[in-house]
Amino acid sequence: MLKKTAVQKISDLAAQLMQKGTLIAPVREDAGFNFREISDAGQVDLNFYNTLMSPKSAFFPHMEDFVRYQTGKSVLDAVPVEISIKPAFLFGVRPCDVKSFEIMDIHFSGTGAVDPYWQKRREATTIFGYAFDLNTPADGADFYATLGIGAADPEGSDVFMMKKGDELLLKAVTKKGEKLLAEMSGLTDASPEDQKYFDETVATGRSFKTRLTCVEAKSIAKKFEDLFHKTPFWERISDACLSCGICTFVCPTCYCFDICDETLFGQGTRRRVWDACMFTDFTLEASGHNPRTKVYQRLRQKVCHKYSYHVRKYGVISCVGCGRCTRACPVNIDIFSIVDQAMKE
Amino acid sequence: MATSFKQIEENLKNEARKLLEEGKVSLVLAYGRGYDEDHPVPFVARVVADVENMVFNEYCTANMARYLVRYPRGTKMAIAVKPADSRAVVQLIQEDKIKREDVILLGIPVIGMKNSKTGEVIDSKTTCGMYNPVLYDVLLGEEIHGQTVVSPYDVLAEYETMDKDARFAFWKKEFDKCIRCYACRKACPMCYCDPCFIDQNKPKWGDKSPQSHGNLMYHLTRFHHLAGRCIDCGECSRACPVDIPLYLFHKKVAKECEEMFGQAAGKSIQDKPVLVNFRVDDSDKILE
Repeated sequence: MLKKTAVQKISDLAAQLMQKGTLIAPVREDAGFNFREISDAGQVDLNFYNTLMSPKSAFFPHMEDFVRYQTGKSVLDAVPVEISIKPAFLFGVRPCDVKSFEIMDIHFSGTGAVDPYWQKRREATTIFGYAFDLNTPADGADFYATLGIGAADPEGSDVFMMKKGDELLLKAVTKKGEKLLAEMSGLTDASPEDQKYFDETVATGRSFKTRLTCVEAKSIAKKFEDLFHKTPFWERISDACLSCGICTFVCPTCYCFDICDETLFGQGTRRRVWDACMFTDFTLEASGHNPRTKVYQRLRQKVCHKYSYHVRKYGVISCVGCGRCTRACPVNIDIFSIVDQAMKE
Repeated sequence: MATSFKQIEENLKNEARKLLEEGKVSLVLAYGRGYDEDHPVPFVARVVADVENMVFNEYCTANMARYLVRYPRGTKMAIAVKPADSRAVVQLIQEDKIKREDVILLGIPVIGMKNSKTGEVIDSKTTCGMYNPVLYDVLLGEEIHGQTVVSPYDVLAEYETMDKDARFAFWKKEFDKCIRCYACRKACPMCYCDPCFIDQNKPKWGDKSPQSHGNLMYHLTRFHHLAGRCIDCGECSRACPVDIPLYLFHKKVAKECEEMFGQAAGKSIQDKPVLVNFRVDDSDKILE
């Protein structure tokens, strides 16, 4: 099913989705675009390249409360926080980010241990993918083509959207998407030309140019295994690294978290908070021993986790080439260049 | 007439090559090629061959003084310093984190540096606005004179019209954006505490979750730890992924410090850090 509407009428579409549930869509903020829960349909803005933060927070928020307690009281008085999940619509997700959900599913539900928070949100959410504009060159930091992801791949989305001039084409990809589109008013049926345009864009998107290097999962994984003990290589790579956590926080496939007991005026909450392997205290053990005290050890962990250990354990590279880490890095460290240099070692 | 970036790059390479060849230093902290020309990276040259990868252009904004404390005490290093960076080195010498004799400062007079994220020209609004390094052993370009000298505190005019409550509301709103990536402290040449107070868990000074109270705890404590020490390079604000104007607070504290103690951070190695040094004629205004 292919439908269309005028790009200008996006707020109508947004308003309808807001009646059905929570709408999470890109909005313009001081530092760039970000996915936010929409309170006013007019906020939704599709004139973005990509968001600063990845859409992972829709399923895996920066902070998630599990249990509330009071200090000095019995543990039996602690109250679990109910997961309240409403139907949600994640609107305007770029194809590389849609791909990231599939990778994250491995960790949160794919290996037997199911994270109910992630899974319930995932099930309740309809994903509106959104093709990159093929008439605008890709940002210099992007390299999703290297990971085999097209600029207009509809796979993984429930509904896939792309702009055609002043119009927005909406294609139902899954049954869930089909049902939803059928219920929406204000959409018109697309013409055969629209269908042709859609198919052609998806096909052209597969060869859309971003930074490209030959990355074959198995061989890169092996390469990094061989490089593990080559300390001078990692020291050189990490000379510039400040060891802050930006790259992991903006990353759509970084999923590390810490469980913290946080208390304020006697009221406590046990919660999950994003953590980062780039932080010194990430590997600090109770004994006081820290196996990764050096910056190079931490950067090596991040890169090897994505490009080596993840391949060995799950068969896929844990990176979608969205370029966020490169764009956000205060000192311009670029994971693509690291992989490229590693292959040349 | 300011020396061109290309010429500075050439001079930088020549000096670095000479120092490494003569064995005077074991590493040169400068800038290298990034993934494109607009995104150079901090770079460490260890052998003569590394020098070829050095660059210098208007996007080389990183404060290399940040990396000095990473190497063991006594390591002989050369470092490329822009004006604010040279102040950071001076401040680190004052605080005895590094020894004057261990570092060779390759001074770079600059004008027209640009933020690689926004492309905007960096001026006295977010930095100290100086054109020439305060301390150097070799100068890689001609000193810049005759430019309008703007006070780095001019940018505070609007901020200072706010009363206490308005300022608190302003910072609360800004800090609510914070994602606690700690890029500000990591980019800061004066933030070298190991461990940083916010990473400690016994006692635990602040929460890890990105909420108002923890964010305020982190930023206000960091601001005050930098009182009289911030050299106004503006790296914290440029590193911030959510554009918190951290420079405003640092400038405000620096201005008050300067008014009270007649001394700005990192201007001379003869100075002692203001909050460490006691002078009988010190202002009592701090107690008011």
